[in-house]
Amino acid sequence: METPGGKGQPVDLLVEAFRQGKPGAFEAIVRAHQDRVYSFCARMLSDRDDAFDAAQEVFLSAWRNLAGFRGEAALSTWLLRIAANRCLNRIRRRKVLSEREAPWPEPMGEEGERPAFQPEGGEADRPDRVAETREMGEILTEALSRLDPDSRWMVLLSDVEGFSYAEVAALAEVPVGTVKSRLHRARMSLRRLLSPVA
Amino acid sequence: MECREAQDRMSDFRDGTLDTPEAAAVAAHLMGCGECAAVAESLDAVRERLRGLSPAPAPPELLPRVLAAVEAESGTAGAASAPAGAAARRSFLSRFRVPIEAAAAVLLIASVYWYQHAAPPVPGPPPVPTVQAPKTAPRSDVSPDVSPDAAKGSPSVAPLPPTRPKTARDESPAAAKPREWTAADLPSVPAVRASSNSERIVPVAPPAEPESKREEAAGAGAGSPALEGGRGVEAARTREAEPPWVLAAPPSRLHRPLPYGRDVSLNVEPGDRAGVEDRIAAAAIRLGGLVEQIEREGGSGTGGAPGMVRVVLPGAAAAGFLEELGRIGTVPPGGAAEAIDLPAGPRPGTVAYAVRIRVR
Repeated sequence: METPGGKGQPVDLLVEAFRQGKPGAFEAIVRAHQDRVYSFCARMLSDRDDAFDAAQEVFLSAWRNLAGFRGEAALSTWLLRIAANRCLNRIRRRKVLSEREAPWPEPMGEEGERPAFQPEGGEADRPDRVAETREMGEILTEALSRLDPDSRWMVLLSDVEGFSYAEVAALAEVPVGTVKSRLHRARMSLRRLLSPVA
Repeated sequence: MECREAQDRMSDFRDGTLDTPEAAAVAAHLMGCGECAAVAESLDAVRERLRGLSPAPAPPELLPRVLAAVEAESGTAGAASAPAGAAARRSFLSRFRVPIEAAAAVLLIASVYWYQHAAPPVPGPPPVPTVQAPKTAPRSDVSPDVSPDAAKGSPSVAPLPPTRPKTARDESPAAAKPREWTAADLPSVPAVRASSNSERIVPVAPPAEPESKREEAAGAGAGSPALEGGRGVEAARTREAEPPWVLAAPPSRLHRPLPYGRDVSLNVEPGDRAGVEDRIAAAAIRLGGLVEQIEREGGSGTGGAPGMVRVVLPGAAAAGFLEELGRIGTVPPGGAAEAIDLPAGPRPGTVAYAVRIRVR
């Protein structure tokens, strides 16, 4: 799988400009990456306000830590890693503080792992009904929001943002095999959800 | 392969990460199972749509909010990138601080070394005129090099503070004027080779010479007419072994002769003295060397000038040549250095010998 390259050379120039203290460099970095970071946060959190706050945290954290950015990965990769951590923290905090996220059912199936997909009840949430009324991007986002968070961010990073399995595994601190099996189950869940439109 | 197994392996199959037998089994199953083939097709479609999911535009208020947060944190309005940039710059430079300091130290040492070994003797420290004294009249050659104060007396008297050369240059316009070197100031190599035996690298055994002459040379004062010939130079150098200006740059090696060769003493019996020069020359030629100079025995008996043969040999033939000398006469202990270190010959890979014949 191809490793995301971000904006390539222009982004590296922006980082260099920021390191040299040039005014406007950080603003240019935010402009270059805000859509990608915000979209990731929005798809992870399924909440516009939360995504807004998370994206702001991501860029503020980047501003604090850009001095330590080694350039081993693209800046976009680095930013998305920060975003993934921030969003997971928010999801965990959200689950602790409130019950906004529906509780996941008990493990079922193999090896005691949670199911990757929990369909919500109600006629309006049926996939076919959703497919009839929304654009494909929204449908995908909606389908992604129904994945459990641990599978969702892996799908977002791997299948949407193009991270390699190894990168996702390093970020999740789990073996590559675990990442692959979780991703496969999540894709199968998405397939079932999107089968009316896919 | 069961349908469930095939579907479990479908992502790996599409990624191409299955080993060959498993991939073949999945492929065979998909060929024969329409349901699993449809699952595979829809899975491909899902992945394709995920790859094509474009980012949604961020709210326009995100950028100003981020910049405001950054400015609030930095405490410097309007300098969103400056503080972190400066910190990054400090961190970046701090990573190279130690290597830069090490490089500076090496550069300093190299500069001092270069200055000590290659700087031209503009202020004219005393050793320069004394080395060049044999070439021309001593005083006329010395005076342009030294300051008026130094020229009044002997160049070697009254050790001066280390800053003396700089002070003299700074305060005395006449002394500060650098000497203009001309070709006439440079000693020609043949002249040095012919006249200055003391310039050899390893003068192992001093040549036989009347003690009276040595004493005469050693007793001569600075600027004395006795400073002529190699012995005079050696005596002057011995006298000035203690450099008065320890920090002064030595004369450039471009202005000094580059001596080479070794002195070898060869003792022969009085009865075998005849024709020794020719035998030495023949041995050198036999070993692939050259004979540069033959000085026949002068005078009569042991009181005259000793014979001397100067030869240049390939470095590999040096040991053989010394063996040959051992057959012609006797090389006294310490009469020949075993080690061959550069510059021992006029060219790399060669070694020069000045064989001085003594009748014992």
